[in-house]
Amino acid sequence: MRAPTSFPALRRVALALALTCAGESSVSAQPAKAPAAKPAGKVDVGPAVQKLKSGDEAQIRAGLDDLRIAGSGASGAAPAVAELLARGLSEPLAQQAIDTLGDLESPEGSAVLAQYAAHRTVAIRRSAVKALTRTKGPAAAAALRKALGDADAQVRGNAASGLGALKAKDAVPDLFAALDHKVNEAAASIGQLCNAEQCDQLAGKLGKLPFDVVTGGLEPVLFRPASDISDDAKIKLIGRLRELGTGEANRFLKDVEKRLPKEASPRVRQAVEQAVKATTGGSQ
Amino acid sequence: MKTSAKMTITAALGLASALSQGCAGDSSRPKTFSTDWLDDGGRSISEVQARLRGVRPSVSTDLVVSVAGNDKIIGTPLGEGAQWTATHALDARPIIAGGVVVVSGGNEVAALDAASGKKLWSRPTGGLPLLGAGDDGNVTALSLSRGAGSTLLVVGRDGSVKRQLETDKAIGDPEVVGGVVFVPWANQYVSAIDAASGDEIGRVTIRDKVSRALAIGGTLYFGELAYVRFDDKIGQASRGGASRVALPSRELPGTPRLLVPGTEKVPPAANARDRDRLFGRPSGDAATLGIDSNRFYASYYRLIFGFESQRGHLAWVRTHAHDFIGGDAVVGGVVLCDDQGKIVVLDAQTGQVAMERPIGEPIKSCVVQADSFQAPKPASPGPSLGQQITDAVTVREATLATAQRLLLRELATLEDEAATKTLIDIASDTRSVPVLVADARAALATRRNGASHMLAALGKHYDYLHDVLRSPPVGPIADALAAMKDPNAAPLIATRLLDPQITDDDVKRAAAALALIGTEKEMPQLKQFFAMYRGTAPTDEVAVAVGSVGEAMLRINAKEARPLVEAAVKDTMTVPVARARLEALLAATPDKPAADKPAADKSATKK
Repeated sequence: MRAPTSFPALRRVALALALTCAGESSVSAQPAKAPAAKPAGKVDVGPAVQKLKSGDEAQIRAGLDDLRIAGSGASGAAPAVAELLARGLSEPLAQQAIDTLGDLESPEGSAVLAQYAAHRTVAIRRSAVKALTRTKGPAAAAALRKALGDADAQVRGNAASGLGALKAKDAVPDLFAALDHKVNEAAASIGQLCNAEQCDQLAGKLGKLPFDVVTGGLEPVLFRPASDISDDAKIKLIGRLRELGTGEANRFLKDVEKRLPKEASPRVRQAVEQAVKATTGGSQ
Repeated sequence: MKTSAKMTITAALGLASALSQGCAGDSSRPKTFSTDWLDDGGRSISEVQARLRGVRPSVSTDLVVSVAGNDKIIGTPLGEGAQWTATHALDARPIIAGGVVVVSGGNEVAALDAASGKKLWSRPTGGLPLLGAGDDGNVTALSLSRGAGSTLLVVGRDGSVKRQLETDKAIGDPEVVGGVVFVPWANQYVSAIDAASGDEIGRVTIRDKVSRALAIGGTLYFGELAYVRFDDKIGQASRGGASRVALPSRELPGTPRLLVPGTEKVPPAANARDRDRLFGRPSGDAATLGIDSNRFYASYYRLIFGFESQRGHLAWVRTHAHDFIGGDAVVGGVVLCDDQGKIVVLDAQTGQVAMERPIGEPIKSCVVQADSFQAPKPASPGPSLGQQITDAVTVREATLATAQRLLLRELATLEDEAATKTLIDIASDTRSVPVLVADARAALATRRNGASHMLAALGKHYDYLHDVLRSPPVGPIADALAAMKDPNAAPLIATRLLDPQITDDDVKRAAAALALIGTEKEMPQLKQFFAMYRGTAPTDEVAVAVGSVGEAMLRINAKEARPLVEAAVKDTMTVPVARARLEALLAATPDKPAADKPAADKSATKK
C-alpha cells in the first residue's frame, strides 16, 4: 500500500515542476508542496478534455498523458475519461485511460472501471481493478468483490488488497472465502477491516494456513487504534500467538513489540511482552 | 540359440512319441485337411448332418471358470452345485467343453470334471499351446498349435489318445457331436472327422470367416464373425444358403470381437481385449435363426451395453463398479464377471441385475458356459435410458472416453429433457474429458428441448471463490435457445455476453443469438459490449461478435444504434474485422428515410 501512494506522488511533483518550468503544459498544475499525503490542487482540465474529445488517437493519448501528470488534481476530467472508455477505445488507449482514471482518483471513474474490470483481456482487468482501488466509491467496492472470483490470480489478489484499502467492511466474509482459496492478499485486508469476532476467526487460521499469511492479517489488527478494535480483541489474538509457542511466533511478536507506538495501550504492550517471553525458546 | 533349437526339436520328437501312445497303429492322414478338395456342393456335409440327425451336442455344465492367484482355477456353477477350486499350471485360458474343463500348462493338458473340478486325465503336450476343445461326453477333441501347423488330439474319458492328427494347416476350435469332430480350419472350411476312424467324412465351405465350432443350447454352430447353424441347410453353406445370423453393424466402443479367433492362443490372464467384447447368443427354431432375446451386448471396461439385435439400437447401458473381463450371452441375458471376482447376470431387456454371485476373490480372467441356464427376471425395470446414459457418461475415467463419446451421441438423439441437462453438466464440469466436452457442446447446440435446464445453466457463471471453475456452455445454449426462440433467453444470454470467463467461441455464438432474439431490454448490455470490444476485441471471434451485436442493435433500435455503428465504422480504433462486418451490415441495412421525407416517393409509388 505504500508504493502506490508515494511513487505517483513523487512522479507528479517531478513532472509538474518540469512542466511548470517549460511552460508547455496544457494543464496548469499547482506547485506541489507536500507530495506524499496532501491531495494535489485542482487544475484546469479544459485543454486536456479538448484533446480527449478530438477523436484523434494521438491527441487522446496526449490528453491522457497530461491528466496523468496532473494526477488527482485533474479529477474534474474523470467524467470525460470515463466517457471515452464508455464509447470505446483501442486496447492501448483503453489501458491508458484506465490508468488515468486511477491517477485521477475520482469516484466518477468507478462505474466504467467496474465494466472494464470484467473485460476479456486479463491485462485490462488487472489495470481496472488497480484503478478501482484508487477511485473508490460503492461501485468500486462492488466491482472488487466480484473480482475476488476472477480466474486470474493477480486480479483476485489486487481485488482483495483493494477491498482493504476501500475499507469495505461488508466484504470481510468474501475476503475470508478468498483467503480459504489461497488469495493470501485477503489476510491483510481482513486485518484492516475485521471486527473482534472476525479478527478472532482470522487468528483461528493459525496452524491451518501458512504463518506468514495469517500474521500478514494479524499485524494490522494489532496496530489499529483502540477506537476501531478493542484491546480485548487484540489481547485475544496475542494469546493465540502465544499458544503457538513457536519460534516464528516469537519472532513475529518481538517485531510487533519493537514497533508498537508509544501511545499503544499498556495492556496490549504488556500482553505482547509476556507473549514474547513465553515463546522465547519455542520450537522452530 | 543352437542348444535351444536342439532342445526344441528333441522336445517335439518326444511329444510326437508321447502323443502317439495309445494310437500307435493309426496312420489316418488320408485327405484330411487337404486343399485339393473341390467343393462338393454340400453333399458330404449333408450326409454327416443326416447321420447326426437327432443327435444333439452333450448337455454342458452351466459354469463360470475363473483364474485366480497362482494357477488357481475356480469353478462357479451358475445353477445348483458348489463352487470348486483346482490347481494346475496354466499357460492358456481354461476352456469349458461340455462336461469338462480343459486346462493347459506345465507341458501337459488336463481335463477337469466341470461339476467338481476333479482331474479326469492329463496328457503331455511338450508345451504346445492349447487353442480349443470340444467334448461330446465320450471323447474330448483338442486343438494344439504347432508352429505354422496344428495337432488335433482326440482323448477318451480314460485319458487315452483315440486319435492324433497333425497338419500343416491352422485349425481352430473343434467341437464333438456324436463321435464326429468338427474342425474349422483355413478360416473357411469345417471338416467333419470321424473320431473312431480319423477319416474326414464331410466338409463344408463357410462364406464367413470361421475358426470355431461351438455347441450352444444343444445346437452346433460354426463361426467367428457370425454364427452358421449346423442344420439341414448346412449343405447350402458354400452358396450362402445356410442358416446364419450375424450381429448388425453399428458403432461400438473400441473394436470388440464376438468370438476370439479359434486359431489364437488366449493367455490365462485377461488382457485389454477381454475388456472390450461382444456377446450374442444364436437361437431360433428350425425355420428361423436369430439372436436370443433380440439383444446383443458389448462390454467396455466397466460399462456394458445392450443393443437391439435387428438394427443395433441402444437399449440400455449399465455402469458397473469394476471392469468386466469375461462373460457370455445366455438365454434371457448376459453373464459377466468382473476383475474383483463378482459374477453378475443382467437381464436382456433392461440391463438390470438379475442375479449376482461372488467368486470370493479377485480374478485374473474368466470363461462362461451356459447351456440351459436362463437369466432370471430382475426385481425392477431400472431407470430410463437417458438416466442410464447419464450415469455412464458422468463417470470421470479417461479409459471410458471412447464409449462415453458414443453414448453422448446416443443421448443427443433422445427426446428427453434430462438428456439436455446431462449434456450441460458434462460441458460445464472441469473433470470432464476434453473430447467429451467438445461432443457435449456440439450435441447441445442441436437440442430443441430442455430450455429450462439451459436457462438455469445460463444463470451460473465462473466463480473461483465457490469452486465453479468452468463456465456453462453459453455458446451452444445460445444456439439452441435462439433456434427455439425462447422468450426468456435473451436477458440471460446478454448477461453472459459480458462474462470474461466464457470462451471466445461462446461470445461469438451468444452475440449471434442476440442478433436473432435480442430485445430492447438487452440494449444496455449490447451497447456496453459494442463499446468495450469494438476497439479491444482480443480475437477475431470477439470481433465477429461485435459485428453481431451491431446487427442486434440495428434490428432492435436502428435510430439509436445506427449513429453508434456508423461512428464505429469511421473510427480507426475499431478493429479491422469488426469494422468490415459493421460496414457490410450498414450496406445491407441502408438508413431508412425519415417518415416525412419520402412523401414524393410514396406518391410516385402510387402512380
